[in-house]
Amino acid sequence: MKRASLRASLSLVVVALVAGGVAYAGLLPSYWVFLATSVLITSVALQSLGLVAGRTGMIALCQMSFAGVGAWTVGYLNLAEAPGGLAVWIPIGGLAAVPLGIAIGLPALRLRGINLAIVTLSFATAFDTILATMTYPGQTDFLQVPRPELFDSDEGYFVFVLLFYLAIAVALEFVGRSRLGASWLAVRHSERAAAAHGVSIATAKLSAFAISAFVAGISGGLLAGYLGTLVSENFSMMQSLSLYAVSVMTGAHFAEGAIIGGLLVVMFPEILRRLDWPQDIGNVLFAVGATQALSTGETMSETFRRQFRKLLPGRASKAAVASASALPAPVERAAGPALAIDGLTVRYGSVVALNNVSLTVAAGTVAGLIGPNGAGKSTFIDAVAGFLTSYQGSVRLDGRPLEGMPAHLRARAGVRRTWQTNRIAPELTVGGYLALAAKGLSASETKAMLDWLDCPHPDTLVASVDAGTRRLLDVAGVVAARPAVVLLDEPAAGQSHEETLRLGRRIAEIPTLFGSAVLLVEHDMDLVRAVCSEVTVLDFGQVIASGPPAKVLGERAVKKAYLGIEEESVAA
Amino acid sequence: MNALLTSAVAGLTAGGTYALLGVCAVFTYRLVAVVNFTGAAIGAAGTFVLIALYEAGFPIWPSVLAGIAAGTLTGVAVGYIMTRSFGEASASTKAAVTVALLVGLIAIGLRLTGGQHPHNMPELFPGSAFRLAGVEVTIASVLTIGLAVLFTILSDLFLNRTKVGLNLRALADRPMAAELLGVRVQLLSLLVWGMTGAFTTFALMIIAPQRSPNFMTLSLLVVPALAAALVGVFRSFWWTLAGGIALGVVEGLASSIDSVSQYRSAIPFLVVLSVLLWSQREARWDEAR
Repeated sequence: MKRASLRASLSLVVVALVAGGVAYAGLLPSYWVFLATSVLITSVALQSLGLVAGRTGMIALCQMSFAGVGAWTVGYLNLAEAPGGLAVWIPIGGLAAVPLGIAIGLPALRLRGINLAIVTLSFATAFDTILATMTYPGQTDFLQVPRPELFDSDEGYFVFVLLFYLAIAVALEFVGRSRLGASWLAVRHSERAAAAHGVSIATAKLSAFAISAFVAGISGGLLAGYLGTLVSENFSMMQSLSLYAVSVMTGAHFAEGAIIGGLLVVMFPEILRRLDWPQDIGNVLFAVGATQALSTGETMSETFRRQFRKLLPGRASKAAVASASALPAPVERAAGPALAIDGLTVRYGSVVALNNVSLTVAAGTVAGLIGPNGAGKSTFIDAVAGFLTSYQGSVRLDGRPLEGMPAHLRARAGVRRTWQTNRIAPELTVGGYLALAAKGLSASETKAMLDWLDCPHPDTLVASVDAGTRRLLDVAGVVAARPAVVLLDEPAAGQSHEETLRLGRRIAEIPTLFGSAVLLVEHDMDLVRAVCSEVTVLDFGQVIASGPPAKVLGERAVKKAYLGIEEESVAA
Repeated sequence: MNALLTSAVAGLTAGGTYALLGVCAVFTYRLVAVVNFTGAAIGAAGTFVLIALYEAGFPIWPSVLAGIAAGTLTGVAVGYIMTRSFGEASASTKAAVTVALLVGLIAIGLRLTGGQHPHNMPELFPGSAFRLAGVEVTIASVLTIGLAVLFTILSDLFLNRTKVGLNLRALADRPMAAELLGVRVQLLSLLVWGMTGAFTTFALMIIAPQRSPNFMTLSLLVVPALAAALVGVFRSFWWTLAGGIALGVVEGLASSIDSVSQYRSAIPFLVVLSVLLWSQREARWDEAR
């Protein structure tokens, strides 16, 4: 993880050094350097957009308004003759945009992207008129924002902007690969699955929005130093809209996507101008490009990366050397019931999905929950893990009631679940997913954890992992977190007989190896019989039997529930 | 008091237009599951065909018809892209596509209509309809509100009372499933797009003389329209209607108060913000994922 970030950052630094050196040495015509500065400033703005739109999957249409706030602050500090000069004012301008970013992000917390699109678009229109009315500080008396002495020339200012770009790109590279970055991707892919890993959706979205506003504010400040004086049109809503289209088209959450986008935004009108063509054709191209990217589901950066990977010889994954001893140590837990459910009732309108269900999972054991399709097994897991708005009855974890706790807090308290359908964000690496699921796992523990369930190398992209293995990865994630209770929702579905046998042995090991109690929801009776010490059978939302598997599975009522008819009539 | 009433009534034309655009947005969302950011731009395209023909010396009413036809066609064209390439896409992706299309439409529109260059927009319905407590109520405002109410009633009846409406609602949720059931998804979707295109165009033609009729300002009427749709939580036509009219009236009131009149275009933002914060009282998970 860290190594990959370092590697990527290093290549960024090298490219930037070369670019900065070439420009500073005067090897390029001044006008080109001037244009290149504009490209970099646009790239900074695009990176800020890539964070919200690309990584978190929200539609943000007021990025240039945030830039406007940053620029306005810089102008104001200049007018007030604040100490520190541009290099200090710019970060202050970025910070000034943060509260606005959070305020606008708030309405999007619980409702998805579309509402954010409406909020941000209406904010952009509002900001347009407000800025036009307020005017930019110093605009009327032509007060210029001075550049730092050291970077006063066009070449110098290019280097100045380059330093900011580099700092932001490297910081985003590290954040992007951190657990926070993984949580953004997870939220984008599935909010429920993210919450099931203890990720607070609110924190994930707000942090993305705050950091994004900060970076956008910085781009505005850089623009202030670049142009000297600004007018409100520099930050108009149309700029925000076309920037969004560009970011969708190129994939602004990739370092190269932001640069390509910056090049397009700056160079395209330049080329059109030289050809004597109308410059606004650019926006038409961006619109077409964005529509194209959305329909193929692949941005320009992703296409380039895919083509580039084809050129490279396939890297052989390193031989597995980690031993079982490298597995994370088990958490010691007291004996007694780990999870105690009493009188759980769930209604959907007039339909009773679960009726007075009681069940106990003892610490250090594997319990089973079975029943035919529609019996209420998944509803049961949803209720226990906190994904239902209301239920009756009580859920206790280690004796503490969980009522009133939202899903992500239950996950942190020690109830972790897997899903029947795969909800792992495909943009993550296998190792990144494990880091998201289990905080603070070391590299060797990650490797050992993956080997324990025959999952691929940590650097593998989840997108290239087959569906069956992704289910195992899901199990590896929750188990690595070593919670008090693991709820496994049909982990063996889609696995071959051999794989199921192996998975069964692994599930049986979970209590001793990791200290977690397991509630296994399964259809595969062989698996249930092999690993569970207690089994509860649900039918139409009611418990119809519970006890040791050998006894329960032989009961008539259970057979009837599964076969739909009495055993005798089958034999007849 | 009378001054306030005058300015409130002055906002009615805008209110009716916002309401109609808002109801069209809800209609589109409930039938083809798209939050459409291009709604007003589609109407603007039709309106500018009218302006172009009128400026070229064509008689007005045939030009109006041609304009509505152009708006309908633009709507169908956008709808074609949406159903063709994004029929099974997520709501969020569809919205992103309409945002991208909005960027393209505005760029093309500004290019064809000469940017901010002022145009001569004929007032289709000049004069006042009646006096209310001594205040003139214009024909235009009666007409936009009437049209909005009519469209609200029709949408409500259509969706809730007819079999085709029910089919269409099924279509919005699962286009593929509806298709398998023999619903002619593509055709019906295009019908929805064309119909909203026609209504939007007509509404914009009425309001255009009041605004600086350039392509961009007309296209951006989508902001108050979506604000109105949010008041109806993208479900209720009647709440959307009320929201749109209220928005227009509040804007009218704001424009009469000097200290806030410059900031009146921030009103939709404040409405959106408060509606969203209010509607978040209960937690909701994203669409079945």
